[in-house]
Amino acid sequence: MSDRPPLDRLTCVLCPVGCELEVREDEAGGLEIRGNQCEKGVPFAVEEVLRPMRNLATSVPVRGTVSRMVPVRLSGRIPREMIFPVLKEISRLRPEAPVRRGQVLIADVLGTGVDVLATRTVA
Amino acid sequence: MEANASHDVVVIGAGPAGLAAALGARRAGAGSVLLVEREKALGGILNQCVHDGFGLFLYNETISGPEYAERLAEDVAREPIKVETGAMVLDLSPDRVLRVNTRSGYGLVRAGAVVLAMGCRERTRDMIEIPGTRPAGVLTAGAAQNMVNLQNLRIGREAVILGSGDIGLIMARRLTFEGVAVKGVFEILPWVSGLERNVRQCLMDFGIPLELRSTVVEIRGRDRVESVVVARVDEGLAPVAGSECVIPCDTLLLSVGLIPENELAKRAGVELSPLTGGAVVDQTLMTSVPGVFSCGNVLHIHDVADWASFEGFAAGASAARYAAGERPAGGTVRVTALPAVKYALPQRLTRGTGEVELSYRVTRPLRDAEVLVKGADSGKIYARKKSGRILPSELQKIKVRPAVEEDLEVSAHE
Repeated sequence: MSDRPPLDRLTCVLCPVGCELEVREDEAGGLEIRGNQCEKGVPFAVEEVLRPMRNLATSVPVRGTVSRMVPVRLSGRIPREMIFPVLKEISRLRPEAPVRRGQVLIADVLGTGVDVLATRTVA
Repeated sequence: MEANASHDVVVIGAGPAGLAAALGARRAGAGSVLLVEREKALGGILNQCVHDGFGLFLYNETISGPEYAERLAEDVAREPIKVETGAMVLDLSPDRVLRVNTRSGYGLVRAGAVVLAMGCRERTRDMIEIPGTRPAGVLTAGAAQNMVNLQNLRIGREAVILGSGDIGLIMARRLTFEGVAVKGVFEILPWVSGLERNVRQCLMDFGIPLELRSTVVEIRGRDRVESVVVARVDEGLAPVAGSECVIPCDTLLLSVGLIPENELAKRAGVELSPLTGGAVVDQTLMTSVPGVFSCGNVLHIHDVADWASFEGFAAGASAARYAAGERPAGGTVRVTALPAVKYALPQRLTRGTGEVELSYRVTRPLRDAEVLVKGADSGKIYARKKSGRILPSELQKIKVRPAVEEDLEVSAHE
């Protein structure tokens, strides 16, 4: 057990129990997780500290409509530091109506392996 | 619309609860169902909630608000449910006659049963009485969400957010995405009123400061907000003199609570609970007015849309059974919330009811807590549940299995 101050404290959001996790660096330079009541808490906390992954959502104007917007999100999560570069790509989008729910507006955005999807149908 | 129509079940409002109620009524055998929605599109507030996190319980995946709404609306479209959008229910009488203004005109609708699913409103500046001038730039978080996500408007350059409700937290991130500098979120209570994952993913990810035990004590600016004054508050929530700090900004968002929208319910004479702001209901979600049911945010404020939908399915099914002539038999017992529990719902049960799920919220964060459902006369424990932590921001559920023969008390102990 390491006695160093925690690098991070976070609540596990994988289930309603909501374990309060503490992440510390151990003697060997690895990560030590405390507070988890099940084994799922460990990879959750390690990812959250080392490489947090996020989805993101915004909306873009649809061409060929009277100022209607289509909401968009990603098909999966991306590394947190890619949020603003991906938002910049999305901000260039001006899809033509009709747009259907689930339509891929940008495939494999910036090589992240995830797509930008329309999340509603705008006819 | 016909000037004088009649339906087994009429559902008022087509958000996550109302869409589900219409489906629930059909699936329970209602012959004719009318769904009335004020907006042009179905889905209610889901349409402006473009973030993901919806559907985890209903669809087993996390999707955006518009996707959730569209899926439910497609299910509605597959059923012979009559849908009136752009239509407003102006009045509801205790004998279930609705006065409805639709796109094709005004008419009366007689309902075998009614499901209230009108949702809620946001608390405004007036309701929390923030002193200062009356400039432009003071918005509720939901109004800002509508302007940004649906109307593509830029609401300002530098924003302060008062209150830590989920919509405020979500909007802190959304405004950051749009290039608005969010200078901080201020919460008068010692705890956050929104969900923890939103604190992490909407504030901490972007270095947005969160100040607890603090509030906006003055709004300054002539035509447009120029700054707000924030101050710490003491135990009694009164501002501490000398702790004031001026924050230049042109926008103040308010995320300071939601209130069930029960104007129609009041007209019908429905008994409301001062604890929830919604109707007092029984285990079938029927209000004090026979044949009038309530679900979703008009009944009590939910933190997850899926639960509003589950309540909608249940209320719709109950309404269908009522319209078919089914009536609960026997007297009722009361369910009361004791200190540390803000409310428990349903507030009434038909005597002999068993296998019933109670929803409740706690008044403050509790650690190593035990929630007890006790018989008021016998002291018998009907249900107990232990939790490492219970937060006021999270709606809780507890299942009562035995048949209930007396008034119940729901309490929480640390």
